[in-house]
Amino acid sequence: MLLDFNKLGAWKWALSAICAVMSLFLLLPILFIVALSFGNSRWLIFPPPGWTLKWYEELFADPRWMGAALTSAKIGVIVMVISVALGLLASLALVRGTFKGREVLRAFFLTPMVLPVVIVAVALYAAFLRLGLNGTLLGFVIAHVIVALPFAIITITGALETFDPAIEDAAILCGASPWEARLRVTLPGIRHGLFSAAIFSFLISWDEVVLAIFMASPSLQTLPVKVWTTLRQDLTPVIAAASTLLVALTVLLMIAAAVLRKGKSE
Amino acid sequence: MFSAAAPRRGSGLGFAMPAILLLAAFFVIPVVFLLTRSVTEPQLGLQNYATLVGSSTYAKVFFNTFFVAGVVTLVTVLIAFPVAWALAIMPARWSAVVFAIILLSMWTNLLARTYAWMVLLQQTGLINRMLKAVGLIDQPLQLTNNLVGVTIGMVYIMLPFMILPLMGVIKKIDPAILQAAALCGATRWQALTRVLVPLATPGIASGALMVFVMSLGYFVTPSLLGGTANMMLAELIAQQVQSLVNWGMGGAAAFLLLLVTLGLYAVQLRFLDRKEAA
Repeated sequence: MLLDFNKLGAWKWALSAICAVMSLFLLLPILFIVALSFGNSRWLIFPPPGWTLKWYEELFADPRWMGAALTSAKIGVIVMVISVALGLLASLALVRGTFKGREVLRAFFLTPMVLPVVIVAVALYAAFLRLGLNGTLLGFVIAHVIVALPFAIITITGALETFDPAIEDAAILCGASPWEARLRVTLPGIRHGLFSAAIFSFLISWDEVVLAIFMASPSLQTLPVKVWTTLRQDLTPVIAAASTLLVALTVLLMIAAAVLRKGKSE
Repeated sequence: MFSAAAPRRGSGLGFAMPAILLLAAFFVIPVVFLLTRSVTEPQLGLQNYATLVGSSTYAKVFFNTFFVAGVVTLVTVLIAFPVAWALAIMPARWSAVVFAIILLSMWTNLLARTYAWMVLLQQTGLINRMLKAVGLIDQPLQLTNNLVGVTIGMVYIMLPFMILPLMGVIKKIDPAILQAAALCGATRWQALTRVLVPLATPGIASGALMVFVMSLGYFVTPSLLGGTANMMLAELIAQQVQSLVNWGMGGAAAFLLLLVTLGLYAVQLRFLDRKEAA
């Protein structure tokens, strides 16, 4: 009877209580930062003695924070485009290809996801020192595409696997060229997968810290690098303000992803 | 079948080429190159590995890494099992709320989450003041810049990675098996320990292995909540390369981390997947 919620008796309440405590454990720190960002205590006293927007003013008035946010957005968008494009091509090869070793190739594509990112970061750092790519936009983009690509490939192959290739064949039989069929039949058919892959790729780049710490230079840094360097000095409430904006963005993108999923199931 | 009538296409390997070339140039070659430097710098030989294994400073780093990863995995499993179990059988409208909280936490910026714990756990932080207010402690506890802080911060980050797969495994268990256990006279506790937990073990084991491996190579949370005195392996690699410019030692430490990571994944593929298939 342990898998029937209503027949659990007293255990039902125990399980619900554990669930509730764990939810609070996950949720409260996030709400805590949001509250602190509006609190007027520089020493992060909670509950704050009063409320203010000055940390946001400080954040928006500082060209370094704004510059870092702009850099992050720029890199995120470029990474998103490249990662979805390469991911789509690779997924077509993995799902529709007829060559041998497709499973090995799939495993190869996913390795950057399973290796500790610090190893990738240190290895790329060494390579980029030689190539002069450290502290450049291109360096950041390459590093982030490497770690975003596995997620794009997982999402897009998932969408392609549920899309019946017979529909593409039918288009070809009706006179479409293979490329026309891919572009005008298959692509629209898997658009939800492509959108999810785009959101994932952007978020991975936008939030990525470890690679970015190694790629950054004093003149070019992303938002997470700026947060990281500031955090190592002190715990200023400006970070709470920046974090709150990041949480807001996350919530927006989660809603976007949920709407996409809903659109898919209809 | 239409496939015979469909026009011939190439094998499709060409489509994968851009991704293959990118990964070869900026992933495979740099990683291989880094690992070779561990045996070529400062001179050819295994001296870097000898230093890593021989010195007590590095022994402490290895101990910290495996100890924290072990404790984090254990705590995560103990919390995640009841939560995943509840989520698998709860009415949908409740589980949707818990699920949304898990996803929100998972997708919230890692630094923002770590910052929250740095503030909460500091000497004058909310946790210490609450413990003091209820009379549990007289002096504030040292909760950051040590392994306690790292463990709390890491459990917070790893929980979703354990709960979500485990929930999938428990959902797949046939409730009839547990009904059968009850009909055969098993008490609730017996049904839990002799039926439900054993049936969920493949999921627990693979989730635990994933959390353990991820914790071993974690960089951000240990360096912010642990401080330099409680270094873990990923920080050691970064420090050797960035501050000490000792590529030989950095490469050697990276190779050990890589070996352990791939070794544990191999265990997972070899034993756990087979068990699930059986």
